[in-house]
Amino acid sequence: MKPSEIKKMLISSLNAGTDTTEISGRLEEEGITFDFKNGFRDKIVEKVFSAGLTINREMEFMRSVNFAFNRIALTGVAAIVLLLISIFFMEGSLSFNSFLGLSDNYDESIVSLLTGN
Amino acid sequence: MIKESYNTAEEAVLVKAALDGNKEAFGDIVTKYQKMVARTVKGMLGDSIFADDIGQEVFIKLFYSLSEFRGEAKLSTYIQKIAVNLTLNEIKRRKRFFSMFSQKGNNEMYEFEVADQDNEERRDSKELVSKALLAMEPKFRIILTMRMLQGYSTKETAEILDLPLGTVLSRLSRAQEQLRNILEKL
Repeated sequence: MKPSEIKKMLISSLNAGTDTTEISGRLEEEGITFDFKNGFRDKIVEKVFSAGLTINREMEFMRSVNFAFNRIALTGVAAIVLLLISIFFMEGSLSFNSFLGLSDNYDESIVSLLTGN
Repeated sequence: MIKESYNTAEEAVLVKAALDGNKEAFGDIVTKYQKMVARTVKGMLGDSIFADDIGQEVFIKLFYSLSEFRGEAKLSTYIQKIAVNLTLNEIKRRKRFFSMFSQKGNNEMYEFEVADQDNEERRDSKELVSKALLAMEPKFRIILTMRMLQGYSTKETAEILDLPLGTVLSRLSRAQEQLRNILEKL
């Protein structure tokens, strides 16, 4: 079938009154169809009957954990990088004292801060 | 004829046997409806290995919800609804995921696998359909998938998508407009 004919068929399948059964049948004849890989049935039957009732919940849980981990990890890394950059610009170095915000303070001034004298 | 369905009595026997732990009965349900699910999942997500995972999830979810199936609707409709929900959830999940990493769409991940690799014309046809589908907005893509790949009527589409008939009709015309624009570029 020519691409132009397929395009026409696709567009006409969205007409409310069109007999879509005929269109889907013709597309299937043209090899435009989908199926899962070989062994699909066996994999599912094995999963369902061997893993017990927890498998579905486990799958959903793992997908959610993966998704949440990706989000949190990426946001965390971005925050750390921003923090490092801002410390570097404000303090001029990335020393331990810079992290604690102590780079400009002398011991005496800290004592006076703590004692109020 | 694309639509798969057992008669109600046959379905009831298979469902009961599957619930009783009969592997063969559940396997028969999978065999009967796997192509139907593949058309929905792969039509919506592209012909990729990820789609196979979602397909498996559809049948696993079906198994654990079989006890809630009362036989008021056809089993095919029940399965189709699970497939549609899981597929749309996956699209949302991917959208969120890819928006975090890249401005590019996730369509680049899709690969096209064709049953008959030697047949250039068939491969081109399937690629054309897949590209057109993936270029559409998900809410229109699902309508095109139900109509073009599954052969459902407007009423059946509305029932499966849990949408009022009027909404489906309006989406049909908007989807058609979008599809025309996409096909002009392909």
